[in-house]
Amino acid sequence: MMPLGEPWKALVPGGGLRRGSTVVVEAAPGLGGLSLALSLLTASSANGHWAGVVGVDDPGVVAMAELGVDLRRVLFVPRPRGAWAESAADLLDGVDLLVVRPPSRAAHGVARKLMDRVRERGTVLIVLSEPGAAWPLPAELSFVVTESRWATSSRLDARYLSVRVAGRGEAGRASEHVVMLPNRRGQAAAT
Amino acid sequence: MERLLALWVEALSSEEPDGSTLRDSLALLDALSLLCPFSELVRLGFYVLPLRGPSRFFGGEEAVLKMARETVRDVTGHEALLGVADGVFCAELAAREQRVVAPGATDAFRRAQPIEVLGRKDLATTCRRLGLYTLGPFADLEVARVGERFNKHALELHRVARGELDELVGQRDLRLGARLGHLVGEPSSKHEQLGLFGQRGAGDERAFAAAHRVRRRLGADALLVASPRGGRAPEDRATLVPWGSPLVEPDAKAPWPGQIRSPSPVTSLAHPVAVRLHDQHDAPVLMSARGTLSGEPATLLLTSYARRTVCWYAGPWPLVERWWVLGRRRAYLQVVLSLGEAMLLSAESGRWWLVGIYD
Repeated sequence: MMPLGEPWKALVPGGGLRRGSTVVVEAAPGLGGLSLALSLLTASSANGHWAGVVGVDDPGVVAMAELGVDLRRVLFVPRPRGAWAESAADLLDGVDLLVVRPPSRAAHGVARKLMDRVRERGTVLIVLSEPGAAWPLPAELSFVVTESRWATSSRLDARYLSVRVAGRGEAGRASEHVVMLPNRRGQAAAT
Repeated sequence: MERLLALWVEALSSEEPDGSTLRDSLALLDALSLLCPFSELVRLGFYVLPLRGPSRFFGGEEAVLKMARETVRDVTGHEALLGVADGVFCAELAAREQRVVAPGATDAFRRAQPIEVLGRKDLATTCRRLGLYTLGPFADLEVARVGERFNKHALELHRVARGELDELVGQRDLRLGARLGHLVGEPSSKHEQLGLFGQRGAGDERAFAAAHRVRRRLGADALLVASPRGGRAPEDRATLVPWGSPLVEPDAKAPWPGQIRSPSPVTSLAHPVAVRLHDQHDAPVLMSARGTLSGEPATLLLTSYARRTVCWYAGPWPLVERWWVLGRRRAYLQVVLSLGEAMLLSAESGRWWLVGIYD
């Protein structure tokens, strides 16, 4: 199991991310999907695990540091051009968690190959997708952002995300949660 | 002549055959650039940085000296000799004496130096025969007399002695810049030794091997790692650099104040996109020199097609970057759009730019 930080360890079946599993994070553009996906890295990253981020152009590394990701062990391929899946496969051998944002809906065969590789290597694949371009295969765990609302004062304070968390099989019952992501300090937190 | 802090790091002054000196020199230059973006490596082992801006900023010269000393210790593990004076020539002499020459006292300091500091044995011998033991009396010689008495190089040395030239010929290694340029992209020895930042373990080896595969596939610039810096703007405070570039240790006490407070945008555009911001009358919102807006932002035009309603905004927060030199003015504005997306805009040069998205 790869550990999860706040607030996910209390909300995810088993309290962590199973090695070899694929996790899908789905959100409309700009509504917190990227923050959510990156927040899944924090505890493992703090424990010394390596992470990769493929296809996220212009990642805000300051925000990642605020979230609690240890930037010393993150490899970025922001613009893999046509080779996002190949880059992801390359990195899967070297990191423990991999965040991937495919540029469009991934082909069934490509998704299958990546997920097989993830199982072989014992990595965790975190796919960031949008409602119109869903990941073509069922994942072990999914996070769907259903609502996003900012709390403001004289500045942006915190964002309340409504998230539906669902596992597969026994742990499959979906549950709805509202989390702060980010809070005033830029971290993920329970409400 | 500019008041300079000079650092002499003996251990980095002669080159090791394995190239480690050059790499470590570059790592130190990067680290000093956090204190002052105009830090220079004059030649191996010898660094200078303008002191006026940073000392106003950090609360005094003493504070900058302390930070510079610690930086050298942290990055190289060696001790530096520090000195302060006006101009590269005198700053180096001050460093060797570990002396802070008071403002306005550089002339007296230079005049009291032995003639040998000009680095010319023949000139020193002749001067001593004439009874000129220090730079002061040599500087007082008339230019015409120096011309007839000494060879042609002496005229330039005479100008240095008089304080008309800031540095000696030969004091600066002119090829160093180009050589350092070639290095960027190679891992620094410190990091080879220690891993990217710390102990290098099996996981690191595996990650590096994967990184190499991606580089072979996509080219050296495709694989990036984070390198925290100390800028004021979100896109300056940390940056992504190609894997293998020299890294600066992350520094939580980033030197510039006035950062946009957390939370920071999770997408930080390396190349800001020009956007337009209109008020409720569809007139462009302008920012005055005093940092006030001409109207309430109502519409954000991301492209000519994408018009979005601005539901809320905060700011502007003006920032002046590298204020002691560039006087570059910028202000930030946070907006929330109709679907709940939040963005960070900046106003600069009379235009609005999208610099961050709180995705």
